[in-house]
Amino acid sequence: MISIVLQQGINGIVIGSLYVLVALGLTLIYGVLVQINFAHADIVTLGAFAAYATTHFFGESYVVGIAAALIAGAALGWLVNATIFSPLRERGSELLPLIATIGVSIMLQNAMLALLGPIPYAFDTPYSNHVLRLGGLFLTVQNMLIIVVSSASIILLYGFMRFTFLGKALRAVAQDRETAGLLGINSNQLIMLTFVIASALAGMSGALLGPVLVLTPFAGTSVIVKAFAIVIIGGFGNIEGTIIAGLLVGFIESFTTQFLDPGLIDIVVFALLLLTLAVRPTGLIADKREENV
Amino acid sequence: MSETSHGADRRRLSGHSIVRSRHFRYLLAAAVIGLLPLVFTTSYWRTNLILCAINVMLAIGLDFVLGYAGQLNLGQSAFYGIGAYASTLLVTKLGIPFWAAFALGTVMAGAAGALLSLFAVRLRGHYLAIASLGFAVITYQILLNWISLTQGPLGIYAIPPPPPIALPWLPRIPFTNLANFFYLTASLALIVYFLLDQMLRSPIGETLAAIREDEISAASLGINAPKWKAFAFAASSAVAGAAGCFYAPFVGTLVPDAFFVTESFAILAMVIVGGMGTLIGPAFGAIFITLLPEVLRSIGDLRLILYGASVTLVVLFMPGGIMQAWRLVRQRLFFFAEESAT
Amino acid sequence: MTASATSHIDIAAPLLQVQGLSKSYGGVRAVRDISLAISSGTVFAVIGPNGAGKSTLLNLLSGLHQPDDGTIRFAGVELVGMPPHLRARHGLARTFQKIRLFKQLSVLENVLVGYHTRHAIPPWQYLLHGAAFQQERRRCREQAIDLLEFVGLSHRASIAAGALSYGEQRLLEIARALATAPRLLMVDEPAAGLNTTEVAALLLRITNLRARGITVVMVEHNMNLVMTVADRILVMDYGQFLFEGTPSEVQCHPKVISAYLGADVP
Repeated sequence: MISIVLQQGINGIVIGSLYVLVALGLTLIYGVLVQINFAHADIVTLGAFAAYATTHFFGESYVVGIAAALIAGAALGWLVNATIFSPLRERGSELLPLIATIGVSIMLQNAMLALLGPIPYAFDTPYSNHVLRLGGLFLTVQNMLIIVVSSASIILLYGFMRFTFLGKALRAVAQDRETAGLLGINSNQLIMLTFVIASALAGMSGALLGPVLVLTPFAGTSVIVKAFAIVIIGGFGNIEGTIIAGLLVGFIESFTTQFLDPGLIDIVVFALLLLTLAVRPTGLIADKREENV
Repeated sequence: MSETSHGADRRRLSGHSIVRSRHFRYLLAAAVIGLLPLVFTTSYWRTNLILCAINVMLAIGLDFVLGYAGQLNLGQSAFYGIGAYASTLLVTKLGIPFWAAFALGTVMAGAAGALLSLFAVRLRGHYLAIASLGFAVITYQILLNWISLTQGPLGIYAIPPPPPIALPWLPRIPFTNLANFFYLTASLALIVYFLLDQMLRSPIGETLAAIREDEISAASLGINAPKWKAFAFAASSAVAGAAGCFYAPFVGTLVPDAFFVTESFAILAMVIVGGMGTLIGPAFGAIFITLLPEVLRSIGDLRLILYGASVTLVVLFMPGGIMQAWRLVRQRLFFFAEESAT
Repeated sequence: MTASATSHIDIAAPLLQVQGLSKSYGGVRAVRDISLAISSGTVFAVIGPNGAGKSTLLNLLSGLHQPDDGTIRFAGVELVGMPPHLRARHGLARTFQKIRLFKQLSVLENVLVGYHTRHAIPPWQYLLHGAAFQQERRRCREQAIDLLEFVGLSHRASIAAGALSYGEQRLLEIARALATAPRLLMVDEPAAGLNTTEVAALLLRITNLRARGITVVMVEHNMNLVMTVADRILVMDYGQFLFEGTPSEVQCHPKVISAYLGADVP
């Protein structure tokens, strides 16, 4: 029994840390722009397919595939910001950019569907079938890699936001764009940088998710709905909260699969989302901000 | 969208004659509804007409909360599904008369919407958008997994049409034929349109617009924004539920896939392409988006790309949608007319 | 217009009484232990250098933010803990320092929103407009046009509020606030961005409001306006109470002169 719990705990960390990577991107963008990029899902999908193409068509190693996914994600993120968010910023609408990116998402999904078809791709990496035994527990090298790469990225990002000048500048823009501008911080460039970082993370998590997930043009969408739940549970724009909530959702997923029914995962996650909204609307770790008038 | 308010002013300032022209427009709409099945006699086209009527309801319901109250309801697919499944199950499992089931299905969808919105209305609009999206995902999962009730992916078959209406001085009106079913759905769509239009021309219209524009200002004028947002959300969900009550007996079959999240996006596309913040725009948007795939059959799956592209392009370049385009065309025509007159 | 709303209030008791009001934001004490009493039918000005906590005080009074400490009694009702929309229904109205109009609505519609709590349309007539509906709509519209006339904007009634000039937008905010028939109107820097002629017109309007029995609380930097129109003045500095008195007392008080007014004010 204990070994089952431990095993599912590990599985939860694997999937949870990937969710954290995707959700962190959403939360970073929300932090500086107070906007949601719905096409974030398709950046994940694109990353997965970029890695697949690199390894399966061009015969490169998985590590090169991850790098390709990272670059593809960053490029698409840059494009989405340049074509959607930048032009819409002056209009100051809360919902128009979200709606526009829903359109982008429909477009990208169906473009990929037309190109790649609905049948799931079998994304094998040399690490997928290599199983490590730790006592009574099993861990594929792929999962090990996922944990290592994603926790390294999360720690790097966290350190970047906390301790570097650029990270602090990003947080300054998040707090108050006008004042940041007065301090000589170019918020447009920083917003672009945020998009590129967030999307690179999403692309990379796509490459890591590809072998774990059912890889179809809709793969990103199933991830993004949970990522949305995570950013709300953790508190929009709150990095620590997002990390905790992401792992929590990972555990919910693995334990629900083990002890209840995989069909209930979304239901449990959403129930937690509603509970959060009812009890602590600003997220698990409260980040109280009052609007300045 | 600034054109919208100018339009409203024109209507308002020109006063009495407008009332007449409004009556005229409703009469015109009724006449068009009456004539359509006589023009389109094939069952293929009549089926499309019924779909248009159902989609018009879904679109104007969403527009009420999105275009006026400024809240994005991405759960329309779920409320549509709740209306469809609830009314059908009430009829088939409990033997409740269709019209009572219709009322209950509508109320249940509205209540679900109100309940959901209460969780997030105090926060920024994004929270409500995401909570409603989550609700759509969940509702789909429940429809899929609660097999003892919904029969899951197998679906519910052989749903009977609404019982014939037997009024004392008229012949019985059965709904087994498509023309009558179209009259039924189109009349309901027209009634829903009328009721929403009436509300928007009452102080509710100004109240919702004020909340959309600036909640803090609205509160300083005594408006309880959470309450009115919940109201708009519930109204929009109830309209989707009502549409669902007609969808089930029309198709005769219910499967969860009809109420997947992508349906919410399709409804959103109707509103955006039509022009949010007007009621007539999304109504035309619904007809346009419903018939577009039929016209574009030859390009197959690519039409869905077009569909996403149109949403993005409209938001970027013509946020007023079809209505804005129409106004531009009309202005230009008037301009030429005046030029040639002088 | 709206004088009847205030007629039954006892002039002797203060309309608004604030005790020990405090508010901090992340360690910064924006308002510290402020107490004041405002009599009905007077103009009460709040002055002080930038960052003195004047706008925060208004936000606490209007309910946008809740105080950490202190009480606010308004016409015998405790306001602390009450959300902004209920305070508005008790007769408290305000304008905003950063203009917050409903930009895409017309000028007239902006004022009509203020009638949200003041029309007597039976709810079922929202769906089926009857005679009572038409009559109430007409009444509200006529009154709204009167208010626009009062601020001199009736000729702009049908354009979008966002298209007004800066000064006109400030005036529209006042008209919109007046539509709620307030007993107490709080104006946050009403003269900002106005030229001399417009300030003179504003002065007349504020005097006019006082004559109609509306109590006015005004945060303002324009000393000419404040000294001419205010009955009493509260001077704040670093969130704290510095002095309160009549304009002539304020002008003479050494502490005020040294802390704030300096040499550039006559």
